[in-house]
Order: sequence, then structure tokens, then C-alpha cells
Amino acid sequence: MCQKWVDHRPEVDPLTGAVTTDPRTSAASAADHAALEWGLRMVEGWGGELLVATAGPAAAEVVLREALAAGAHHAVRIDLEATATSEEVAAGLAERLAGADVVLCGDWSLDRGSGSVPAFLAAQLAAASGLGCTVLALDPDRPGEVRAERRLDGGRRERLVLESPAVVSVEGGGTRLRRASLAGVLQAREAAVEVASAPPLTPSRPPLRIGPYRPRPRSRPAPSAELTARERILVLTGTPADRPPPQLLVLEPAAAADRILDQLRTWGYLL
Amino acid sequence: MIAVIVVRGGVLPSGADEAVAEAGGSAVLVGDGVRRAAAALVVRSGRVRVAEIGAFAPAAWAVALAPVLAAEDVVILPASPDGRDLAPRLAAALGRRLLAGATSISGDRVVLVRQGGLVAEEHEPDGPFVATLVPGCRGVEPGGGPPAVKVLALEVVPAGDAEVVEVLAPDPATVDLAEAARIVTGGGGLGGPGPFAVLERVALALGASFGATRVASDAGWAPADRYIGTTGVTVDPQLYVALAVSGAVQHVTGLGHPDHIVAVNTDPSAPLMGMADLAIVADAGAVLDQLADRLGIDRDVDA
Amino acid sequence: MPETFQDFDAVVVGAGPAGSTAALVLARAGRRVALLERGPYPGSKNMYGGVVYGRVLDGLLPAWWDEVPAQRWVTRRSTMVLTPTQALSVDFRTQAWGSPPYNGCTTLRPDFDRWLAGKAEEAGAVLITSTTATGLLRQGTRTVGVRTDRPQGDLRAPVVVACDGVNSFLAKEAGLYHHPEPEHFTLGVKEVLGLPRHEVEKRFALQGDEGMDIEILGGTGPVPGGGFLYTNLDSIAVGVVLHLPALAASRRRPEDLIADLKAHPAIAPLVAGGDLKEFSAHLIPEGGYEAMPGVVADGLLVAGDAAGLCLAAGLWLEGVNFAIASGQAAAEAAIEALRSGDSSAAGLAGYRRRLEASFVLQDHKKLRRAPGLVLSERVQHQYPKALCDVVEALFTVDNPAPKRGALRAARAVGKNDGVRLRDLARDLYTMARTFG
Ligand SMILES: Cc1cc2nc3c(=O)[nH]c(=O)nc-3n(C[C@H](O)[C@H](O)[C@H](O)COP(=O)(O)OP(=O)(O)OC[C@H]3O[C@@H](n4cnc5c(N)ncnc54)[C@H](O)[C@@H]3O)c2cc1C
Ligand SMILES: Cc1cc2nc3c(=O)[nH]c(=O)nc-3n(C[C@H](O)[C@H](O)[C@H](O)COP(=O)(O)OP(=O)(O)OC[C@H]3O[C@@H](n4cnc5c(N)ncnc54)[C@H](O)[C@@H]3O)c2cc1C
Ligand SMILES: Nc1ncnc2c1ncn2[C@@H]1O[C@H](COP(=O)(O)O)[C@@H](O)[C@H]1O
Repeated sequence: MCQKWVDHRPEVDPLTGAVTTDPRTSAASAADHAALEWGLRMVEGWGGELLVATAGPAAAEVVLREALAAGAHHAVRIDLEATATSEEVAAGLAERLAGADVVLCGDWSLDRGSGSVPAFLAAQLAAASGLGCTVLALDPDRPGEVRAERRLDGGRRERLVLESPAVVSVEGGGTRLRRASLAGVLQAREAAVEVASAPPLTPSRPPLRIGPYRPRPRSRPAPSAELTARERILVLTGTPADRPPPQLLVLEPAAAADRILDQLRTWGYLL
Repeated sequence: MIAVIVVRGGVLPSGADEAVAEAGGSAVLVGDGVRRAAAALVVRSGRVRVAEIGAFAPAAWAVALAPVLAAEDVVILPASPDGRDLAPRLAAALGRRLLAGATSISGDRVVLVRQGGLVAEEHEPDGPFVATLVPGCRGVEPGGGPPAVKVLALEVVPAGDAEVVEVLAPDPATVDLAEAARIVTGGGGLGGPGPFAVLERVALALGASFGATRVASDAGWAPADRYIGTTGVTVDPQLYVALAVSGAVQHVTGLGHPDHIVAVNTDPSAPLMGMADLAIVADAGAVLDQLADRLGIDRDVDA
Repeated sequence: MPETFQDFDAVVVGAGPAGSTAALVLARAGRRVALLERGPYPGSKNMYGGVVYGRVLDGLLPAWWDEVPAQRWVTRRSTMVLTPTQALSVDFRTQAWGSPPYNGCTTLRPDFDRWLAGKAEEAGAVLITSTTATGLLRQGTRTVGVRTDRPQGDLRAPVVVACDGVNSFLAKEAGLYHHPEPEHFTLGVKEVLGLPRHEVEKRFALQGDEGMDIEILGGTGPVPGGGFLYTNLDSIAVGVVLHLPALAASRRRPEDLIADLKAHPAIAPLVAGGDLKEFSAHLIPEGGYEAMPGVVADGLLVAGDAAGLCLAAGLWLEGVNFAIASGQAAAEAAIEALRSGDSSAAGLAGYRRRLEASFVLQDHKKLRRAPGLVLSERVQHQYPKALCDVVEALFTVDNPAPKRGALRAARAVGKNDGVRLRDLARDLYTMARTFG
């Protein structure tokens, strides 16, 4: 079971894209919490023990203690630098997670946001993968078998059955982590956290440039030849003829509400 | 460069055309119903090969595809759910780096988005690589009509993948959202479940469906099936009203092309404010309350 | 009742300055102490104006100034009297406050509270965050622990120290609040405005880590209260403290009153262009000595804002120092009681004695008339106007008319502004007794 220590509210400089993180607002994500909850339900239903692992600096141990407080049995931190790639993170975690029936992760981390660590874990552990699951069903009589539902694109969903070994990543919405008991919190303070070293990182080039995200210009279908030149240009630049120039206003809430309703009337959405 | 597209039931995943376009037109389509899917490509394409290999099985497919792709220096998958799952497996099978969540991919430059879409990192790959492209980030010019396809013979050896039991049609609970002509969406800046109860009623009064961002849905303020974006529900309304929504790529790319966008945000430089026809700098929660008052909604009654 | 967690000697509720100090002192005495905090980390939800007067730490944490997460050291202090179009400042600067042992520093509560709680933890206190005390565990009238919002969340201990801030829920539950009327509270509202560091230094004439502290009288329009403006490293805090019933009656919104203050010609250039980083509001106990709740019950001590120990009377805005001192006194009394095995109200009575003997209650006693005086119509509106008018008359050059002299100016102004000599004499007398 994986938990990543990550800032929930990083400050991003809108001009330079520089990211400032703060250990005080860093914790496991909602998705990792949901994964932890499912892990706890698994050991409740099937027996066995829950090992919680994180890869990161010593400060990341807070997420392990939180998991221990909620009921995880063992904790390990893989000592790893923040520059590690997803594959290297997965390699570090895989060493300690090998042999597990089911490995649970969050679907995406808030910072990297690739969802690739669980997929790499599955590859490295030669396990089945069910990624981005919304709900899981566990049968107490079939330990190790996970029935899962996950989102596909276009609003479709998929139902899966996974036999162990399996890597399952879950979405954050929907499943809430239980509240740790006071006894759990107190015991977790004292509990031992194993620290393991990771395989050495292969040096990789740092990014050439880090900056604020700017959307790239989008290609559009070519305008119909029947339009006038001016209309074609408008279509190409994404400004339909009836589209007045955008307005940016600073308003008090009451005035803002009036302005919005007026605008909706102008556009014909309201009478 | 080549695009790898996972097909289910003859349907292309989101971002398929863009991935093919980014790869310069050559593609491999794998899955079930690949011919039908190939015919649905709108982008001008070059070499397109298809392999009818049944239900999604990323571990087995990665092994089968690796030899086919070994000669390609760049392999691109759309960052749709299936593409995102297959890409790391492919990278592992090919022994390459994965550059996940890109908005732009070329042989020597890849731009990745990080931090929930707020930060862009430009990378210079140091060898062949696999990348995933965020759907909706580039758009496509249609052209060329359906491609001529060649069949690719792939031998798939089972490798312990999960068993696909069924694929469900879009959840009826979200159909109103997916098809809505008007949508009012609340984001993380609304700060709690209370405003969402008001939002739902304001939307109703405006004849609109209500949506959320993933941040709001993860926080439990709105149901998980209500979030809009690449990984949530994709929509295409005429009117889009966004309250306290930053406008991260993953959200905006699920938005379609609304005729009219209204945004309320305390931060005038939020990306969605730049897209809006009417952008208002104000506290969204307070504006919502004022809207409710004007629409004759009793805010205190629980929905 | 599960017996598992009787193993604390004391439970301290609230890891603000009062609670962390109490836990620190108890832990140093070898007592097992739990420090409960409802926020995810100490200080996460706490706000105040911005200046901590650290002298009170000298005995507890020698050379605290080397470690405290200070933004700036206050070397310039200004008291400003405002009318809508005038401003009179008494501006004081001393370099003595800019070097050890210092006087006051601006610091952010998430930093300061976390630092102080960290000291308690180092000493052995068990800090339990994200955990709210939801009530007292009682045996008859005696407090024997607290309930928390966690499963199996009861904590038992012979002494509970309630440091849960203004309007203490726990003190109320124990029946210690006799005067919870709104007039004994003010509402503090604050904005933090980001400004580049060099800009802060330029506007307030500061160098290096020097800081400035401005207290403002008469800037809150129709609502009696006061204002403040403090400098952080690369931001400034500007806020108002408002009399609660008057605020309600005025139907003005606190944020509008801040906006008015920021628009005052004497303040506007200081805050111009700052970008809003934070807006927050918090109650302040301001009943003064007369309205103080009881602070001791069987098994229970109350300290800091929970005990109404905050001085927000015009020239001063101090609470953290009182919180620290009262937390320390509570801990010492608890240690005494634990040693003697009697944690009844009688056994804990040393707390009140300690408070009486220290600045905590001496200052409050001395200033007990201050709240009423400072919030009076005369001090809020008449005197500021009169003072400014006198100074204006004094410095207006009216040639060819000869200068009028201060006394004549004052007399003329007094008549104009409706200041009655009898009131003035009485108020001056009260002021002399209160502040003198
Ligand atoms: C792989 C991946 C897939 C993702 N898929 C999706 C997806 O499908 N859909 C999706 O929505 N997200 C998705 N996300 C998350 C996405 O990156 C953003 O984090 C998310 O969209 C941000 O939501 P938000 O704008 O509500 O929240 P925030 O980023 O928290 O922004 C809140 C906004 O509200 C403003 N604000 C704050 N307070 C107020 C106020 N009082 N009044 C007015 N404005 C205020 C702020 O200025 C800010 O602009 C995905 C992320 C990843 C990594
Ligand atoms: C606008 C404003 C400006 C001020 N300016 C200054 C200034 O410049 N200088 C100064 O010295 N003082 C100032 N003060 C006063 C000062 O903030 C307080 O006097 C001081 O914080 C009191 O400390 P405390 O420890 O008693 O309470 P708090 O600081 O209020 O701490 C209480 C703690 O208890 C926690 N808590 C509450 N209830 C529970 C519960 N049930 N369970 C668990 N935890 C709980 C809270 O989260 C909090 O951490 C100002 C106050 C305001 C409002
Ligand atoms: N450093 C890490 N330590 C532990 N788990 C991680 C780490 N990085 C990612 N994960 C897990 O993988 C999930 C997806 O992360 P990512 O692939 O980075 O988007 C997270 O929600 C975690 O469960």
C-alpha cells in the first residue's frame, strides 16, 4: 500500500512557474487516503497484514504514521530523492512490496500527476493492474480477488476482476479514510518505521525550462470555403462574429450577480 | 514517431486524433473493433496499422507490441485511461523512459504539465522514449478522410492481466451533464459542501446542469460522477458558467467549445478567466448567494 | 469507561501560545502531558495582529530570540489618531529594540505556534493534532479528563488545562463563564497584503530586519474600536478591532471598515498596491478585569484567551504574552497540585495567586477601566477630532493674523468640537489612573 507525501496547496508563481511547497500543508492526497481505506477494509475482510510504504525524505514519514494510526501494521520509508522518476520510485517501492497479494495506490499524485507509478509497479511486480478505480468490491470468501469499477473516457465505465498479485489504484472522491482512534494516534507516534535504501538513480537530464503552464495554440477545422475572408479569419482565430471582446470586471458580489444575469439575458439564455 | 491507440468496442479513446497528429500521422490501433475505429479518425494520417486483439490487457499487449515499436524513437499514447495504463508497461517492455502527461511532443522536446496543470516542464529526452499526450491540448485539423489501414498480426500471450467483465455505457446519473447545453460548475475556491447545495439549485433555476472540478469532487463537496474534464465527464455545452474554477488543462480539455463562458474568480490571472467572455473578479461564494437571492432560491433549505 | 488512557498527568487543550507553554512547563517537570490541537498543526487556524512581546519568554527559553521565527524586530512604534481628514502620530523609534534582548517581533502564527509547540514536544509533551476536545469528562462536578472527536477518544487526567482560546467551550461547560455577553468581546479583522520586501522597508523607513508597529485610534468610522498596521518581511498586516454590539448595530461589514481604513489619506500610501493574501477574523476577549471568567475549578485550569486574558485597549494589543505567562502559571500550579496529590480547586488555587502576583493580573487590574474608556464616544470621536483640530490650529500659519498660542487654540477648538471641560477632566483623571 503506497502513500505519497505531497503538498496540497503548493504556491505556484504565475510568472516564473516556480513552485514553493510547505511541509505544513503536505500530507497524503485524497486518493491515497481512499487507497488506505480500501487497504484497511481488505485486511479486515481477508485477514493478513497491511504494510504501508512511501518513497521520499524523512519528513514524508508523517504519512506513514497517519496510516499506522488508522490501522496499518507496518511501515517502511524508501529513502529517495525528489528527483527520482516514476519508474525509479516504483522500483524502490517494488523491492519492499514484492510478494504482496494486492498493492493499493492513489490514482494520481497531486504534483507529478501522471498515475504512472502504480502502472510501473504492476509491470515490475508482474501483477495485474486496475487503475483509476472508483469502487471496489471485496468478497470475504475470496481473499485476494478484487472486483473493481473504473472510469473510461466518454463517461463509459469498466468492470474488472483482478486476481492477486494485483496493483489497484483508486480515485480520491467517494471513499473517505476512517478517522484514526486516539489509541491509534498515540501508538503510531512510537511505532517503528523501517527505512530502506533505494536502487541508485540513473542520472537523467533536468528539465531545460520550468515555467507556468500556457495552453498551446489549438488547431481548428479549416473554415468552410463559403464564408467571406473576414468570417474565415474570425473562425480561425476562434472569434465568432457574435462574440464580443472578452470583459474582465472587478465587481462587488451583488453587482456581479446582476451583471451575470444581464449577460445571460443578452445572450438569450434568460428571458 | 508513432501513436499507439487503444480501442474498445470500435470507439476511439479521447485524444486519439491528437496523438496521431502529434506523431505525424502514423499509428497502430489495437483492441476490439479497430477497423471501425480507424475509419473514425478525422486527422490526416499516414501509415495506419490495426491489430484486432480483443479486450484490453496492458501487460500482455506491451510484450506483444514492443518488437513492433522498437524501431520508433518516439511512441505516443493519448493520456486517456487506457493509454495512461499501457504507456508505462510499454516503456518498461521497451526499456525506455516514460514522459507522462505531455502537451507537446517532438523528437527532441517534450513539454509536460505538472502541479495540477499549473506548471510546464520542458524536457530534452536523452534517447528514445514513450510519452502520453493530454487529450484536448492541441486540437486537430481534419483532413484526408478515413486512412488506408494495414492489418498488423500480433501474437498476444496472456500475462496475468485483469479480466474485463463488462464495459458500461455512460452512467445515467451523468448523462444530463454530458449532454447539457448549459452547465454551471463550482471549483475548489467555493470552499465547502454548503455552496454546492446552493450551486445545484442555482443551476436548476438557470436551466443548467451542475458540474464540479476534480478538486471539489475529491473533497467530497460534489458527487464523484459530477466532475468535468479529461478524466471525468466530457461535456460540450453552449453556456459554461464557472465559479471559483482555476481552469487547469485537465479540466478545460473536457469542456468542448462553449459559445459563452462566464467565470468568477478572485484571481484575475486564473487560466479560465482568460478564456471567459465575461470574467468577474469577485468572491464566488458571495456571488452565488446573490444569484440565489435574485433567482428566488431559499438558500437555507436543504436540497 | 476504557481505562487505557488514564496515563497522562495533565491534558492541555489547544496548542496556541497558552497551551504550548503549559505543556512545555509540565513536560519539563517530568509530567506526562498530552497537548491537543484541533488544527492539522499548531497555529494552522490561528490569527492575530502580528506582534509578539517576548520578554515573558526570558525565563522559559533563554535567548529565545535566536530561534523564534521572527519576521521583523519592532524598532519603530507609532500611535496614530485619525479623523476622516486628519492624522496625528506619536512616532517612536529606538535602536535598543533592534538588538538582544529585543522588545517585540512580528511573526506569523503558523510559524510561531508551531515553534513553541515544538519546544513542548522536545521537552516530552505528546502533541496530538487534528483532534478536537468535544467536552469535559466529569465525575460529579470534578473534571477528570476530556472527550475528543476521535473513536475511543476519551483522555483521562487529574488536571485539564483549557487553553482553547476566546469564548472557551470547556470553561463554559465547567460553568466558569459568568459574563459571556457580546459587549465583552471585540471582533478583530485583518488583511495581509503582500508587498516586495524593499517596498516594505522604503515605505516604513526600515532597514534590514527592523519592523514597525502602528496602533490607530479613531479609524473605524461609526463603530468604536481601533486599528493596527504591522510590517512583516514581505507583507503587511492591516486590521481593525471592533466593538461587537456596535458593529452589529451599525450594519457595516468588517471588510468595509478595513477598506475605509485603507483608504484614509494617512494609510493609503502605506498599503497601496499590496496584493491581498489573506483575510481573517477572530474574536478578542475585551471585557477586562471585571469580566474575567473564573479560572480554576476542580481538576480544571483555564489560561490565555480562554480566561479572558487579553489586553486590547487602545494603546495596546497584547494577548500572546499574557497567554504564555498564564500558561506557565497554570502549569506551575498543576505541578504543585500533582505533587501534593490534590487537584481539586483548592489544590489548584496556586494558579490564581500566581496570576495576581504577576503582570498578568496586575496589568489587567490597572487597566480595568480601559475598555470602557477607550470605546467611549468621546475617546473614539470627540477627542481625536479635538486633538487634531488643536494641532491643526497650532500649525496653520494664518498671517497676517498673529499666532494664537496653544491654549487659546485648544479653548476655541474645545468649544467647536463640543468637548465639555467636565468630561475631559474626568476622562483625563481616569486615563491618569488607568494608564499612568
Ligand atoms: C492526471 C490528472 C487528471 C486530472 N483530471 C481532471 C479532470 O478530469 N477534471 C478536473 O476538473 N480536474 C482534473 N485534474 C485536476 C486538475 O489538474 C486541477 O487540479 C483541478 O481542475 C483544479 O480544480 P479547481 O480549479 O476547482 O481548484 P483549484 O486549483 O484549487 O482552484 C481554485 C480556484 O478558485 C479560485 N478561488 C479561490 N477562492 C475563491 C473565491 N472565494 N472566489 C472565487 N474564486 C476563488 C482560485 O483563485 C483558483 O483559481 C486532473 C489532474 C491530473 C493530474
Ligand atoms: C485581530 C487580532 C489581533 C491581535 N493582535 C495581537 C498582537 O499583535 N499581539 C498579541 O500579543 N496578541 C494579539 N492578539 C491577541 C492574541 O491573538 C491572543 O490573545 C492569543 O492568541 C491567545 O492565545 P491562546 O493560546 O490563549 O489562544 P489561541 O491562540 O486562540 O489558541 C487556541 C488554540 O486552541 C485550539 N483549540 C480551540 N478549541 C479547541 C478544542 N476544542 N480542541 C482542541 N483544540 C482547540 C485552537 O485551534 C488554537 O490553536 C490579537 C488578536 C486578534 C483577534
Ligand atoms: N514517492 C511515492 N511514494 C509512495 N507512493 C507513491 C509515490 N509516488 C507515487 N506514489 C503512488 O502512486 C500514486 C500515483 O502517483 P503518480 O504516478 O506520481 O501520479 C500515488 O497516489 C501514490 O499512491
